[in-house]
Amino acid sequence: VIVRTFFSRLLDIVLRRSREDRLSEEVQSHLDLLADDFIAKGMSPGEARLAARKAFGGVDQVKERYRDQRGLPFLDQLMQDLGFAGRLLRRDPLLVIAAALSLAIGIGASTTVFTIANTLLLRGPEGMKDGDALVDISGRDEDGGFGIEPISFPNFLDVRERATMLADVCAYDVMAQPMSLIGDGAQAGAERVFGNTVTPNYFGVLGVEPAVGRLFDPNEPSATVVISHRFWSQRFNRDPQVIGRPVKVNGQAYTVAGVAAETFHGTSLIATDVWLAVNLTPEPTSFLARRELRWGVARGRLKPGVSAAMAGAEVDAIGHALAREYPDQNRQFGLRLAAASVIPGNLAVPIAGVMSLIFGFVSLVLAVACANLAGLLLARAGTRRHEIALRLALGAGRRRLVRQLLTETLALFALGGALGVALARALTSAIVALMPALPVPVDMTFPLDARVLAFTAALSLVAAIVCGLVPALESAKADVISTLKNDGPAASRKNRLRHGFVVVQVAASIVLVVGAGLFTRALQKAALTEPGFDARNIELAELDLGLGGYTHLTGPSFATRITERVGAMPGVQMVTLAATLPTTGHMRLGVTLPGSAAPAGRASLNADWNAVAPGYFATLRIPLVEGRDFSSADLAGAQEVAIVSEAAARRFWPGERALGKFLQVSTFQVRRGSPQDVRTLLVVGVAGDVRPGNGGAPRALVYLPLQQQYVARLTVVARSASSARLAGAIRGAVTSLDPGVPILSSQTLEQSASLSRLPQRIAAIVSSSLGLVSLLLAMLGLYGVIAYAVAQRTREIGIRIALGAAPRAVIAMVLRVGIALVVLGSAIGAGVAAAAGSALPKVLAGFPPLEVPTFAVTIALFAATGLAACYVPARRAASVDPVATLRND
Amino acid sequence: MSTSEIQYGTLDLMVLKTLAGMGPLHGYGIARRIEQAAEGSLALNQGTIYPALLRLEQKGWIKSDWGTSENNRRARFYAITATGKRHLAAEADNWARTVAIVNRLLEVE
Repeated sequence: VIVRTFFSRLLDIVLRRSREDRLSEEVQSHLDLLADDFIAKGMSPGEARLAARKAFGGVDQVKERYRDQRGLPFLDQLMQDLGFAGRLLRRDPLLVIAAALSLAIGIGASTTVFTIANTLLLRGPEGMKDGDALVDISGRDEDGGFGIEPISFPNFLDVRERATMLADVCAYDVMAQPMSLIGDGAQAGAERVFGNTVTPNYFGVLGVEPAVGRLFDPNEPSATVVISHRFWSQRFNRDPQVIGRPVKVNGQAYTVAGVAAETFHGTSLIATDVWLAVNLTPEPTSFLARRELRWGVARGRLKPGVSAAMAGAEVDAIGHALAREYPDQNRQFGLRLAAASVIPGNLAVPIAGVMSLIFGFVSLVLAVACANLAGLLLARAGTRRHEIALRLALGAGRRRLVRQLLTETLALFALGGALGVALARALTSAIVALMPALPVPVDMTFPLDARVLAFTAALSLVAAIVCGLVPALESAKADVISTLKNDGPAASRKNRLRHGFVVVQVAASIVLVVGAGLFTRALQKAALTEPGFDARNIELAELDLGLGGYTHLTGPSFATRITERVGAMPGVQMVTLAATLPTTGHMRLGVTLPGSAAPAGRASLNADWNAVAPGYFATLRIPLVEGRDFSSADLAGAQEVAIVSEAAARRFWPGERALGKFLQVSTFQVRRGSPQDVRTLLVVGVAGDVRPGNGGAPRALVYLPLQQQYVARLTVVARSASSARLAGAIRGAVTSLDPGVPILSSQTLEQSASLSRLPQRIAAIVSSSLGLVSLLLAMLGLYGVIAYAVAQRTREIGIRIALGAAPRAVIAMVLRVGIALVVLGSAIGAGVAAAAGSALPKVLAGFPPLEVPTFAVTIALFAATGLAACYVPARRAASVDPVATLRND
Repeated sequence: MSTSEIQYGTLDLMVLKTLAGMGPLHGYGIARRIEQAAEGSLALNQGTIYPALLRLEQKGWIKSDWGTSENNRRARFYAITATGKRHLAAEADNWARTVAIVNRLLEVE
């Protein structure tokens, strides 16, 4: 009955208008019927109507009681409050605009960050059936590093066989790799695609359906590929005839089996074009058969009723068992299980770190916006004192009043939240639009799903209550008598509160601006640092000779032919080859020095390495400090040689000459090579240091000649005689030598350098704009407080001037308050920024170190803008006309 | 015996009983019937039955619809529902017991 009554009353509210009509009509018909009876008893119509009224009782009283009975008082009042709030806010459009805009910025920025975090970290995998039951199994990184720790194929097979909690387990190469694809028919020539090597049960475990054709057959070793819906649309124009067509991937012949469902984008962040299946029983000679070679990530499906924790414990035990059974191959081995995610393995941790840092920044902006609004509301409460006192005097309950005021704040936040969601939509699509600038295709959308909307709604609600409650409680405390008698006491508590809000705003803004300053300085320094090479007019073209079928036997001579052919093209001044470039970062290497003990606790010294062709130093204009460049005589079989950077020379042989020394290296290309090799290299040269693109310190670097250390993935580095691009010339030269070798990417060295600074640039842009916004908000807040204080003290100031106070003294008096607030806020903000600034670089790589000038500039900036914000109201105070103000009372 | 004010809660019972006994009636008909039954000993502001009717309808004990009165006026007719009848039976028992108890107490005095 209670539920029924509730719904009936709820319905009443919705149908208010028609119910009101019904009541009137019913009452009227009652009166008419009554009058009819009286007329029948012999009364005149006039008398009858009067008698009917009398018998019925008070029509309006009945209607009022009827209305009380109807509807829900709570909801009814809420509607009243909302209506009232709407009217009031319409009367105060400036407040609404200021509040809605600052809230939209705060909420919009938070929503954007949450949307990205939601996509990367919280949302389950897309396009897979029952994605919650999917788990990722990867290696455990004992060093506590953040990289992805893949597991080897034999280890995966053992996990698949032994795990009883998992319905099935598949595996895939961690990242989609660039591959060459040659279709049949008109479009001859290799093109670069991203392909992922997976086990044949991949689609079955993930629960992916084909859009066209069929997917891999888990039981049959296949020479088929599955293509993504995106690739099918872009490359094959959604032609269903593509099924069964032959394609060559990395030189191997396949047929297209089918197209994966449109919603499925693969298991890595890189947009996958092609899936290749590996046989579940690898050839004994294949690298897949080697237990020590890490290969991919496994993804399993939990059996019904099994929790991820249970499966995790089992997988952990399997990991320990595998480490015991194969102590040589599985050194420091362990397995970890986590909910399936687009971010593989441990990488989620640093991403979560960066996201929470950005979220911290954004929350500060929101805090400033909220404090600003709270200040505005308090000021407004001041001007509404009279109204509120009147309502209290007329019998309004204080709780009712607080609710009314909170409803107004909520209405503002609802508006701000809606604008914020719109802003977040615009921002996320801007981010998606910026993605093509990345060197690999990234398949990513940032949907504003139910979780994001719930987050925004909750955020707005909490913020509204936090920053609306204090002003509301304060206003409802109004002292009825004194307010109505129009000599309100100096609302000192209220002022203290407003001052508190301003201090919070200034402090939060200081933190943001200092952060922005640090990032900007770091970016400036990176741009100003002498990189140690000349990036101008350098064209890069990335190749993978392995895709053209070249091996370590045939590759080196082909590489030499490429340099000869490219060097002969017009416009090419110099050309060389390199495995990596300073802008992209180098690979790691363990170095031991013959005749000297390794440092305590370590097996070897760490250094970076690069494999380069002769002419690398000249092409990039890296000075050779000592010794010679590699030459065409440094071939396989000859004395193995190396060139070390100055930093490496200092590190390996402090105080000694590096030239003519020997060093030993091992573990090249951990994934495909043989880890047992130890080679002794003669240092024939010392080259100048190069700095990484982010302006960090130069690292110890060992260069090896490409002819002695073959690398299949190479970059052609060509110096142009002019500023003209050489991309076309290099492509032409490579294609004329072998059309089966695709150019994986092509850009200038300057583009590559700016890309390597992209994270810092984004950090600088984001923090600067957030800092600027919060600075503006804080100064608006300060201005508001001071202006309000002046308005409140007009009478006092008038008396002071009448008693002979000089305008300068009045200005100083007003400024003192403002400056005190700025100083207090700055001190708190600088303290927080200093604490965070000294703690963060230790936690987050790439966070710029603390700098005193940044602090000084920031505080000076706040002092100047703060003074400006206070000066306008101070001038107004000084121009108060004592006669006018005193007469006013 | 002077006319007495109607006791709180008894109006609902009277309305239900009237509708159960006489079939669908409009508000005026209900009020007139109750006055007749009270034989002048009850001062009823006829209007007060409308909040009571709304309350009963919200609880689902009666339902209402527009109709035409005996002298051709448009009026809203109320009828008791099945749950209303069950409630009436229970409440009537209750009432009888209460009255009996009160009566016995008064007799002892």
